[in-house]
Amino acid sequence: MIDLLPHIINGLTLGLLFALIALGFTLIVGVMEVINLAHGSLFALGAYFALTVIGGGWFAGTPFGAWWLSLPLGLRYVLALAIGPALAGLAGMLLELCLRPTYGKPPLYGLLLTFGAALVVEELIRLVWGTGEQNLALPQSINSAFLLNGMIFSSYRFFAAGFSIAAIAAVWLFLERTSTGAVIKAGAHDSEMVRALGYDLAKLRLLVFGFGAGLAGLAGVVMVPIWGLRPHVGVDIVIPAFLIIVIGGVGSFWGAVIAALLVGLAMGITGAYAAAWATMSMYLLLIAVLGFRSRGLLGRKSALEN
Amino acid sequence: MSKTTISRRVLLGGAGAASAVSLFAGPWKHNRVWAQGAAKPLRIGITADASGMYANSGASDKRGMMMAIAEANERGGVLGRKVEYVHIDTETTAATGSRVAERMISREQCGFLVGAVHSGVANAISQVAQKYGVIYLNTNSSSPTEAGQNCHRVKFVFDGNGTNFAKAAVKSAIERFGPDWMLLTNDYVWGHDTAKATKALLAEYGGKVMEEILIPQGTRDFTSALLKVQQRKPGVISAAVGGDDQKAMRQQVVQLKMGDKPAWINSQQDWDDVYGLPIDNLFGVFGTTWYYRLDLPGVADFVKRYQAMYPETAMRSPGNVFYNGYMAVRELLGAVERAGSSNNIAVIKALEGHKISARDRMQHFDATIDAGTHQVQQTIYLATANKAPKEKDDLFEILSQAKADDVRDIDSAKLCKLETYEQTPSFDA
Amino acid sequence: MISLSDIPARPAAWITLPMVVLATVLLATPWLLPAIGLYQYLGIEIAIWIIFALGFNLLFGYTGLHSFGHGAYLGIGAYAFGLFQQNVAVSLWGGLLAAMLAAGVAGALVGAFLSHRRGIYYALLTIGFGQIFWFLAMKLHRVTGGEDGLLGIPRPPLTLGPWQVALTDNRALFYFAAALLMLVLVLGWRLANSPFGRVLQAIRQNEIRARFVGYEVWRFKWTVFTLSAMLAGLAGSLLAMAQQSAYPDVMSLHQSGLVVMMVLVGGGLVSFWGPVLGVIFYFVARDVLGGLTETWLLWYGLIFMAMVMLRPEGLAGMLQSLGRRSPRHPQNATPATEAA
Repeated sequence: MIDLLPHIINGLTLGLLFALIALGFTLIVGVMEVINLAHGSLFALGAYFALTVIGGGWFAGTPFGAWWLSLPLGLRYVLALAIGPALAGLAGMLLELCLRPTYGKPPLYGLLLTFGAALVVEELIRLVWGTGEQNLALPQSINSAFLLNGMIFSSYRFFAAGFSIAAIAAVWLFLERTSTGAVIKAGAHDSEMVRALGYDLAKLRLLVFGFGAGLAGLAGVVMVPIWGLRPHVGVDIVIPAFLIIVIGGVGSFWGAVIAALLVGLAMGITGAYAAAWATMSMYLLLIAVLGFRSRGLLGRKSALEN
Repeated sequence: MSKTTISRRVLLGGAGAASAVSLFAGPWKHNRVWAQGAAKPLRIGITADASGMYANSGASDKRGMMMAIAEANERGGVLGRKVEYVHIDTETTAATGSRVAERMISREQCGFLVGAVHSGVANAISQVAQKYGVIYLNTNSSSPTEAGQNCHRVKFVFDGNGTNFAKAAVKSAIERFGPDWMLLTNDYVWGHDTAKATKALLAEYGGKVMEEILIPQGTRDFTSALLKVQQRKPGVISAAVGGDDQKAMRQQVVQLKMGDKPAWINSQQDWDDVYGLPIDNLFGVFGTTWYYRLDLPGVADFVKRYQAMYPETAMRSPGNVFYNGYMAVRELLGAVERAGSSNNIAVIKALEGHKISARDRMQHFDATIDAGTHQVQQTIYLATANKAPKEKDDLFEILSQAKADDVRDIDSAKLCKLETYEQTPSFDA
Repeated sequence: MISLSDIPARPAAWITLPMVVLATVLLATPWLLPAIGLYQYLGIEIAIWIIFALGFNLLFGYTGLHSFGHGAYLGIGAYAFGLFQQNVAVSLWGGLLAAMLAAGVAGALVGAFLSHRRGIYYALLTIGFGQIFWFLAMKLHRVTGGEDGLLGIPRPPLTLGPWQVALTDNRALFYFAAALLMLVLVLGWRLANSPFGRVLQAIRQNEIRARFVGYEVWRFKWTVFTLSAMLAGLAGSLLAMAQQSAYPDVMSLHQSGLVVMMVLVGGGLVSFWGPVLGVIFYFVARDVLGGLTETWLLWYGLIFMAMVMLRPEGLAGMLQSLGRRSPRHPQNATPATEAA
């Protein structure tokens, strides 16, 4: 019999990272009723932009690049944490503009369009950054190990998990405590009313999509040192993300967070006994939850069912 | 790693303008008619991965073949014929391998297929090749099944396999680090077969397997596996994890400072998977078939030729993957010359049982192309991280070299049933 | 926008002119392909995927049920065919039957779970189940050969009574696949224009209304899902013969998405012929453009996005609007606000 505690801790940190990925996804689904299959691609874009910010990329050979690379890694990393998500957010806004002709049509069209976008982004990444696997350099201060209860853990993992908690709290406060957040939430329930109250719905959607995409990009920068960076990473990541959304209930903020923690735990504990089947636990959880609650844990009725 | 631009799906190249024309003439006109007197070129189909888990290794593999082709053309070609090549990305995906092989043979008119790192891709290609009778050289896939149950008359395997490496390492490692072993096994054929060979040797020499952890292909997060290693406290970990998976694993092991204890045994360490990593990522003992600083005649010149041909490549010193790609094509073209014909059966017979001197192989001992399994039986080296490097790329310290006969894979050979010559369709390249 | 429901309500003929044209083209394919610089194996691939796409479009275009995990049933068919040859008997008909049965059973089970769902939940669950099958195919090494695939699947000869033909040659296999394709095409056409097909279209237009009219909607949804899974299984068995092996990657989300893209680009939302056009367009583009530019998938993706945004009726829709004066596509092909 092995001690399960380290595996539970491992599962919880993984769950928090999943929650960070699912955050932007659930926001976009909840407000816009679009299943954004390109969410993973925006995740990848955020991470690739961060790669260029940290490593210099195409401008590494220029005098500016030389000066840039002489800056401390810690500073470049912090800048990457801001610039990567911001550029991913812009890409998200571009995608929202493409989505406009599909509003008012069945939700399938949004799904199809974002699926195509995922393919396009992956090909663009291959063109710009190459096909191979790459590494995001981390500052030494967050990239080491520590002892906990006799076991060695990676400190970056805990940094990333802590970062996720902070991001979840910040998004929640933004939605609950600011007037913009209130309008976004209202838009999720009754877009007609929001329009009637004089808010520009088009602008609101652009904003929400950009914000959700930025969160995807942020998750990318934080997650990629653990999950690796390759052109296909977007598709690899979008599957757990959407499973979490479905388990948690489409559009539910806390549903997504709880589901993410559950998925992380399931994977961590399965990993202790049968590592090869860890991914499968995610799917079994999906079937188990949907078998009992057809709208997921905290889901409510939505237009997406039509 | 490479900075040379590689088209992800198709790249035509080779001897001069003829191939450039064929690119732009496109698919609409590919049945070229050869002017009287001008010999039809030999066309080699390069089936190297340019994307997926083995994209880096695939690029090296291809560079090796291209150098052998360039050298043959400098000597005036083979049997008076120029050598051309076509490259199509096999995407580290078996199904793509099947399709690429079909297309190479029936549309690109390739007479020979060369290249593979992933055993699944190699299997897929060899099935198609056998159907047409086209000779296929598996350059870098080292699953024991390649020259065992999945052997074919048209297929030749140039890399050492998992059993060869395990035989070189397991016995002495039990003596040094004790009998308690844990296995980390990449969850596909190469991983399973290599682990099987290790287990058999452990049983033979009194070691025991505490636990085997399967690592799904594409794993980047090894946390749960490494937690288990800490909990079970084995004396030795034998890892059969390849490609980018292995790169990620090495980084995480180093991050957790677990590289020195327990002891790590890696059956084979492809150069491409560690090139450019910090030296502390190279913990443990691992096998290889070749190293660019072996103190043998010809090696230094070979490295120079590599550097002259690929001045732009980020990888400044060639490794085992490049070496295998180069050797495979050189031996193939040599066999065509010995046979005096490009007929497949004649070339196969020229390859079977062929002895290659240690000097030609740039290894310590002579090598043979096994007539029964079509695997090249060669010197196997054990190496570890070089604590006193002479230059930046001097990553390996060679610990020992084993003669081919001492590490021969006897069990796979029993499972290999080559098709007869009559069952193999005749094909003229 | 025109839609599938604009097909005239009179009973359709068993054989139509486009079918005769397609059959003629298929007959001539072994000579056509080399003439334009392509090769026989591509013809086999196209025939297989058309069968797959036709079955898929019964679900996607006609019933408006959006499966993003349909590659799973293609894969199941391929494995079932291979396992039947290796463990039961080397038999063509036995293998085809086993493949359709296995894919049909898997489809029936999943369909039972899915058929009470609607809209996006339906689509999301198909992804989930598709992933499960894909994952199982990779994990059950002993059965499937894992990520390396099930190797060495024979191409059994075609036996009709005393008459026997070997299918080892790519041309022979192509003709066999083409014959099956024509069979699926004719039966599919009949089905789409039968009362059953009308109910499917009613479900697409308004599921709740269809239920109020008195149809047991979920039963229709279940039947059409199972049927399309069986056709995918049939295509899968041919794929196993073509590759002489079966691999898990046809079951991945990426490949399952490709069939959706092919069908939509071809015009599956507005025409029975959409899948045929879409598959041919995709494969020819892959081989011709893919030989000239490494970025062809990027262009294909962009074309797809543009079509979703601007012309979801696809290639078939464009052809229809070009040929509106033709008696086969009469005046009622007027723009309708209804979208699939």
